[in-house]
Amino acid sequence: MKAGFWRSASIIAQRDLRVEIRSGEALSVVFPFAVVATWVVPLATDASPGLLRDLAAPVYWLIFLLFGMMIVFRQTASETADHRRVLALTGLDPAARFVGRSAASTLILFPISGMLVIPVIVLYDYRPPSGIWLMIPVIILGAIGMSMLGTLAADVTVGLRARTSLAPLLMAPLAAPLLMSASQALESLIAGGGIILWVLVLVIADLGLAAAGVMSARALEEIAL
Amino acid sequence: MKKKVLATLTVLALAAGLAAAFTSPPDALQGDFVRILYIHVPSAWLAFLAFGVTAAGSIGWLFTHRMGWDRTAEASAETGVLFTAVALATGMIWGKPVWGTYWDWGDARLATTALMFFVYLGYLALRRTTSDPYRQARRSSVLGAVAVVQVPLVYFSVKLWRTLHQGLTIRPDGIQMDGAMVTALLVNLGAFTLLYLTLMSFRTELARLEEAVCESEISVQSRVTVPQLGEVEA
Repeated sequence: MKAGFWRSASIIAQRDLRVEIRSGEALSVVFPFAVVATWVVPLATDASPGLLRDLAAPVYWLIFLLFGMMIVFRQTASETADHRRVLALTGLDPAARFVGRSAASTLILFPISGMLVIPVIVLYDYRPPSGIWLMIPVIILGAIGMSMLGTLAADVTVGLRARTSLAPLLMAPLAAPLLMSASQALESLIAGGGIILWVLVLVIADLGLAAAGVMSARALEEIAL
Repeated sequence: MKKKVLATLTVLALAAGLAAAFTSPPDALQGDFVRILYIHVPSAWLAFLAFGVTAAGSIGWLFTHRMGWDRTAEASAETGVLFTAVALATGMIWGKPVWGTYWDWGDARLATTALMFFVYLGYLALRRTTSDPYRQARRSSVLGAVAVVQVPLVYFSVKLWRTLHQGLTIRPDGIQMDGAMVTALLVNLGAFTLLYLTLMSFRTELARLEEAVCESEISVQSRVTVPQLGEVEA
């Protein structure tokens, strides 16, 4: 019996999450590595408190981009062409696979990006502006966008020898608008303004990526077969 | 024959554009440096058009799987990258005397244009990973369709972000430029559009020939039979 779209997406997401829970790679390897990166930046500067406070937000977004890519690609790298063939033979909707993979990556990326706030606050003596909780939907929308973009980039480069360098090359410039919107939302919050415009930009970007991912899923499945 | 006519028209139009750029009046504030903008602005506009055509070609291929769409997408992406590079380079050359710096990170238009440039370099790098035209099309069509989101982002960046770059010159309430300058700009825009069409026509033809070579290589390989050990005479 063929499972429905959402059921299929849920099965794929559960499988990815189960793999992550068993290996714990995002939490035990990528997250500590990201913390080390936050620790290295002050060593590379004169580490004056004022400069570090100014650097806190940009460093956070940079680490969110680079280590977010590591998490997303790690998730998708576990799937080989043979896995894809088996999934195709089961009659699984490729769009459901895209949605499931992206959902799982988001569920891993969001808590990690939330936890990254702590070292940034501690090491950089960052003083969050009032209403910082408004950044939660911004980070969620950013994580959703990153996950979908990462899944798309991984699918486009599946089976290539240059995949490990090519996928980040494709993803980083495309993810930059997401991060620019997120960082502008924080700037606006610091200036005492609203963030609704930037939330809208992120929602539109996420919807566009979702549409692109779902519509191109069949064509991308053919690449792996 | 048509290509030669198009190429000749392009050369004539570029000469006319150059003449218009040098005979237009200098700007009250920028002086003669404004003439750089007669190359910079058409290059940027043509880059937008080229990436729009790349997206159309990519979507066309995704729906029809006809290689003509992919050839158009590839040729347009290459041409678009060239025009983006020209727009970035001329913008930097103009920026030094007018803004006092080649590159300003506070300028959202500059930063987003550079991002767009890298996205399409990635697109071209993806195409170079295989020589099989059909595989190239399969991999790059999705990226070509998605990457076009950069175009409105670059165009509206001057409205979305506080930026050093001037705002939109052509707006619903009119053109914010002197008449003679607008004429010079339009002549150059026409010349650059012809240049785009010429480059596209030559590049799509080249892509068609590359495809034919690839197909003939596959055909030759399929006809070559490897001799079995027992069949080889001593």
